[in-house]
Amino acid sequence: MARKCPEYIENLSDYLDGGIDPELCAEIEAHLGECNNCRIMVDTLRQTVTLCREGKPETLPASLEKKLTGLLRERWRQKFGK
Amino acid sequence: MDEKQLVAKAQAGDFEAFAKLIEANKQKVYAFVRRLTANTEDAEDILQDSFLKAIDKIDQFRGEASFGTWLSSIALNEARVLYARKKQFDLKPIEDYLPGAGSHGDDQQDSIRLFDWQDPQSQLESDELRRTVNGAVDKLPYKYREVFVLRYIEELSVKEVARLTKQTVASTKSRILRAPLALRDMLSSTFEERYGKKVS
Repeated sequence: MARKCPEYIENLSDYLDGGIDPELCAEIEAHLGECNNCRIMVDTLRQTVTLCREGKPETLPASLEKKLTGLLRERWRQKFGK
Repeated sequence: MDEKQLVAKAQAGDFEAFAKLIEANKQKVYAFVRRLTANTEDAEDILQDSFLKAIDKIDQFRGEASFGTWLSSIALNEARVLYARKKQFDLKPIEDYLPGAGSHGDDQQDSIRLFDWQDPQSQLESDELRRTVNGAVDKLPYKYREVFVLRYIEELSVKEVARLTKQTVASTKSRILRAPLALRDMLSSTFEERYGKKVS
């Protein structure tokens, strides 16, 4: 079964997203039941995406925020004359 | 006042209405740009240029998407222009992320096992985990980080990612898969150092 792994991996993105043909989905799941490496790959890929989604977003620096207001107002004045 | 009314006032020249639209979206657009660029300096430049461009193009906004999505699409174009000029390395082909990649016999393939990490939250402090994960995303080459952020953080469809990045759906799918495969690889190395030996 190991030699078929690359073919399954090619379809993992669709499989993880749930947007895959049901027949291929069943085939992949059967393979995951037999192939420990592919099972680990899928489990840890899912965790990778979850960890990245849970990451706290960076906040806008206060210095930039202050600078932006002045810059935007100036550009607005140039465009609209007010 | 709702977004549509603010846009109409802004398009008529009301700066305060435009400022309210920016205020409502600036944090989200910054977080998106910071993820895309992987560094604060580029993120600040792109955010600034994008908001200035939004003023220049305010008449062109038709309300087909939300104002925030429109701002993000301007920022994405700015980032693409910036990173098109920078040299980028390619990630490995998909099959190279599999155990035994490059070997020619089943025996060799069977002798290598992937590291099986479980529940990283229980192993690393949350701050350290966040730094580790963000650091891994930041190490991706731009063209992969871009599709990863759009697909998995912004949760756009594959077709939408393909349209925004001007790639075919097939090429986009390949990049979308290679990005988390590379991230998984990087995180596995970190977790493996923490957990100890490879599982075999």
